[in-house]
Amino acid sequence: MTMQAMIDEWYPVGLFSQLDSAGRKTALMGEPIEVARDADGNARVTGGDGRALPVRVRYGHVWSSLGEPKKELFPIPEADQPGRRFVDVGVVRVRCSPLRAVENFLDIAHFPFVHTDILGAEPHTEVQNYKVEIREEEDEVWATQVKFYQPQAAKSASGGITTEYMYRVPAPTCSVLYKTCPPRPSEWDVITLFVQPLAEDLCDVWPWMALFDDETAMTDLIHFQQTIFLQDRSILENQIPRLLPLDPGMEIPTRADLTSIAYRRWLKRHNYTYGAQLVAQ
Amino acid sequence: MRLSHGFVRGEALSCIYHGWSYGQAGNCLRIPAHPGLTPPETIRVATHDVEEVDSVIWVAVGTPALKPPRLESLIPLRSLTAFAGIAAIEAAAGGKASPDGLVEIDAPTGAVCLLLSAQEDGQTLIHVLLKGDAGLAAGIGASRAAESLRRRAEGLQREIAQ
Repeated sequence: MTMQAMIDEWYPVGLFSQLDSAGRKTALMGEPIEVARDADGNARVTGGDGRALPVRVRYGHVWSSLGEPKKELFPIPEADQPGRRFVDVGVVRVRCSPLRAVENFLDIAHFPFVHTDILGAEPHTEVQNYKVEIREEEDEVWATQVKFYQPQAAKSASGGITTEYMYRVPAPTCSVLYKTCPPRPSEWDVITLFVQPLAEDLCDVWPWMALFDDETAMTDLIHFQQTIFLQDRSILENQIPRLLPLDPGMEIPTRADLTSIAYRRWLKRHNYTYGAQLVAQ
Repeated sequence: MRLSHGFVRGEALSCIYHGWSYGQAGNCLRIPAHPGLTPPETIRVATHDVEEVDSVIWVAVGTPALKPPRLESLIPLRSLTAFAGIAAIEAAAGGKASPDGLVEIDAPTGAVCLLLSAQEDGQTLIHVLLKGDAGLAAGIGASRAAESLRRRAEGLQREIAQ
């Protein structure tokens, strides 16, 4: 394990809307940190030794880094699009590697078995071919033309539809999902997974959404996403080994796992190994 | 993900994560994400012999010379995992396990047998067995006694670790 490459990345450390002057004690990659709102109303993040850490407030969350980020926080253009509702889902603590939390988010083949009758249902288990690439210019992993039959794709969906997905990994512990928007077919709903690495095998997961849905109550939107993620948590906390293996070992990937393979390759290429191990034992 | 989290349908055992199902010989029967694909022979899981004796399921490691022990007058109640080794559980129970792995403890509602099975990472699986069909109150008493023993054993284990 080396923190070197990942230390200069941005990570979510809390919801901006819930910050107060008393602050929130949390951790980032093993270091205790404190996130608070200062007298001017700005977010402030302090490291374990009292040093001020870099801060951004974006997509409902406060972002920080233990190092010196070389790049600005990744863009989500839809976050500035009029008409969307932005949903701060909150936090789910998961005893798993932060990289495993992202990899599970990229996987659709588990939908019928883990999110039964919501995101998938037997006999509709087939994962059709889709496209995966590492976009060199943006330095992001992308999966496109991902299609899957879903009994209840979103809170706003009434009945089963074949949903189309696009996945994006713009940072080692963040993923952005673009998904068929039932009330507005010409647009994509945006669902993100922002993962705060507390330790190599412990993370706080902050899902966030930017949806076209003027009907559903905010509480119901949050409950829907929390239900899904709690189902994932039961899987994530039981994965073996706890760290994400980056080299082929015991596992047998299939065509359905192309996104995961590209994600692992991209992590390895950048030496993003906090929460990873090289070979599966 | 362990197959023990999975589900049995017909004669196949399926994984809870992606639904891959396996036959009795350990061979993969079906990969639901690719229903048209016949899984290659190389995809298989290790298998072990199992026997059910007196309502307890035994798994063989290797090829044991003996059959599992009979636990005739004992009735299984529940199983629980302790984050403690067998030595710590024996210390908490105040007695050594028999060669069959049985430890006896006293509950206010009568004596209770615990069948101990060492797991990975220093954990122990405790199967709680009642002496005869002793009714609901005895079951609840035995269950509480086993949980209390587990707390003491985990406390002892933490002391050993320090």
